Amino acid sequence: MNATGASSWHPAANLTQRWPVQSAWTALVWLLLLVLLGWYSTLIPSFGSFQLASITKNSMPLAYLAIGQAVIVIAGGIDLSLGALLVLSNSLAAQLMFEQPFSATLALAVLIIGAGAVANGAVGWIVIRSGVPDIVVTLATGFIWSGLALLILPSPGGGTSEGFRLLFTGSRFSSGSNFWPSTLMLIVPMVLVAYGMRHRRQGLALYATGSDRNAAYLSGVDVRRAKIVAYAVGGAMAALSGLATVAITGSGDPRFSIGANATLNSVAAVVLGGVALTGGTGSVVGAVAGAIILFFLNPILSAMRIDPNTAQVVQGGLIVIVMMGAGFLAQRRSRST
Amino acid sequence: MTATLSRRARLNEVLADHATAVLGVVLVVLVLLTAAVEPSYLSVTGLRNTLLIAAPLGIMAAGQTILMLTGGIDLSVTMIATGAAYVAGNQSPRGAVIAMLLGLLVGVVAGAVNGIGVGVFRVNPLIMTLAMSAILLGLFTQWAQTILQGSTAAAPLIKTLGGGSFADNLIPYAVVIWALLSAGLLLLLHRTGLGRMIYGVGDNEMALRLAGVRPWQIYLTVYVLAGVGAAIAGILLAGRTGAVDLQLASAFLLPSVAAAVIGGTSIFGGVGGYSGTIIGALILSVLNSMLTFLDVGQGLQQIVYGSIVLTLAWAYASLTGPAGGAGGAGWGR
Repeated sequence: MNATGASSWHPAANLTQRWPVQSAWTALVWLLLLVLLGWYSTLIPSFGSFQLASITKNSMPLAYLAIGQAVIVIAGGIDLSLGALLVLSNSLAAQLMFEQPFSATLALAVLIIGAGAVANGAVGWIVIRSGVPDIVVTLATGFIWSGLALLILPSPGGGTSEGFRLLFTGSRFSSGSNFWPSTLMLIVPMVLVAYGMRHRRQGLALYATGSDRNAAYLSGVDVRRAKIVAYAVGGAMAALSGLATVAITGSGDPRFSIGANATLNSVAAVVLGGVALTGGTGSVVGAVAGAIILFFLNPILSAMRIDPNTAQVVQGGLIVIVMMGAGFLAQRRSRST
Repeated sequence: MTATLSRRARLNEVLADHATAVLGVVLVVLVLLTAAVEPSYLSVTGLRNTLLIAAPLGIMAAGQTILMLTGGIDLSVTMIATGAAYVAGNQSPRGAVIAMLLGLLVGVVAGAVNGIGVGVFRVNPLIMTLAMSAILLGLFTQWAQTILQGSTAAAPLIKTLGGGSFADNLIPYAVVIWALLSAGLLLLLHRTGLGRMIYGVGDNEMALRLAGVRPWQIYLTVYVLAGVGAAIAGILLAGRTGAVDLQLASAFLLPSVAAAVIGGTSIFGGVGGYSGTIIGALILSVLNSMLTFLDVGQGLQQIVYGSIVLTLAWAYASLTGPAGGAGGAGWGR
């Protein structure tokens, strides 16, 4: 959200101004997360590996979804069906993986991630072919995904193998204090996608497309392919998010409202993490920090003995205040230059 | 080859010029299809039920339409509607009129906050209204157990307005309210200075600013109007269902956006109008009735609904505008 007001008037200053400002935002969000962690550790009687495991594990689905949303938003789109895709992947996994051995669940997981990429890549294709705005297309496909989820898993249930739960959460059951597996599962996809976005030709094409579609096209970037790739990556991450959910909860849940909430949170996380909805700026790493903070507000507020519904109000309020502050700064900067 | 192409181009041109007529044809076809599924649909009762669904949707979509004309959108309409309905239902013992005014107040306040965020602080409308939706859900979930505790049964007057009809059970009150609001909105958009400025701010805000207009005032006005519209729609819904829960209007988000988009209003601002949205809302309501009659289960219903909305939006886009292309539409251009 930063510097868009100022730099859009001085294109030449972009390269020198934008990168430090953006990295500063990403660093700031991670710093905020660390401060919150420090504060949280003073709020509860004992802070240890169990709490750390719980935080990394439970913020995983939203973090994955935020990575996917960040990639799509950076490429100049927005996907309001990612949450529904999460629910579809979660329902599909819970239905197919029920009472299967570990090797079978692993193979199914790979297949589901691939299917998510293909399905959402098709959504990207529809967006560029039809000329219908991303918001409208993805609102409609969100209905299709959650309808499919209901057909596959009519009511909450299903399951997965113990090994699969161990892989994501570090324990065979619902809680444990080994935080390494979930931390690794959080960091590895983030680093992979972040590396691809910054240091690979296709990743840079996504930034270029989101920043200025016409300029990117005239510079020889295949802007249509960029959009399809972005949506496919988003779909794969949403599918991964659904798999993480089945690993954490041990079951599937096809309810529409879960997907709708997840979508809202993914957009909020992305914006909090410094990815401008106008596209072309921000980083996946920042979005992950935004996602963890958004989730983390829940245990913090409950440690402060505040009603969980207030947590939602605080989350929304935080986003509004951050965005208002950013908008205010951008206006002042554009007036002074 | 060239001859067929030009004929096709001319056909497209004619269709694009009469897009509203094309939409009307789609509506008639859908009504006939529904009648084929359920012959009793083509009766006073059947059509009245569809209109009863269409009225709240059309009013919600009215807010969405004027916001889209300014280049905005409101993803909090459903929560504003639910909140207003909840307040109106809960406060019904104080008298229906006061209850409804309190409900409308929810719309005014939430809309004003949205408008200040978007207009003064320049927050992206999508983010502002998403956050507003989360805040409202949290507040009302909490208030339902504290200050808004107790019954949410709507007062008789609200029930009459939302679900009742007059003139031999022929014309629902909700439809009359919708018609009056529609007439007012069409006048506002096409006959007043504010209407021109709503189009102007979505078309070229800088030009309007240079002409001496303060755009934040326009944003504030349209978001408050949209909030009030959502509140009215919510209260009508509360009247139709009789009692309110916090999921009351949640199914209306996609339809409210889709009705405006199908009706030809551009999400990027400056293009469109409310007359198309009215037909869009009617189309979606007939579709809803048809899917209910088909009785295929919720899952398949959602799939069909999403697919048809997508198809209609796609068809409309390819009919009226240059689709795709290197510089074609993309969100946030």
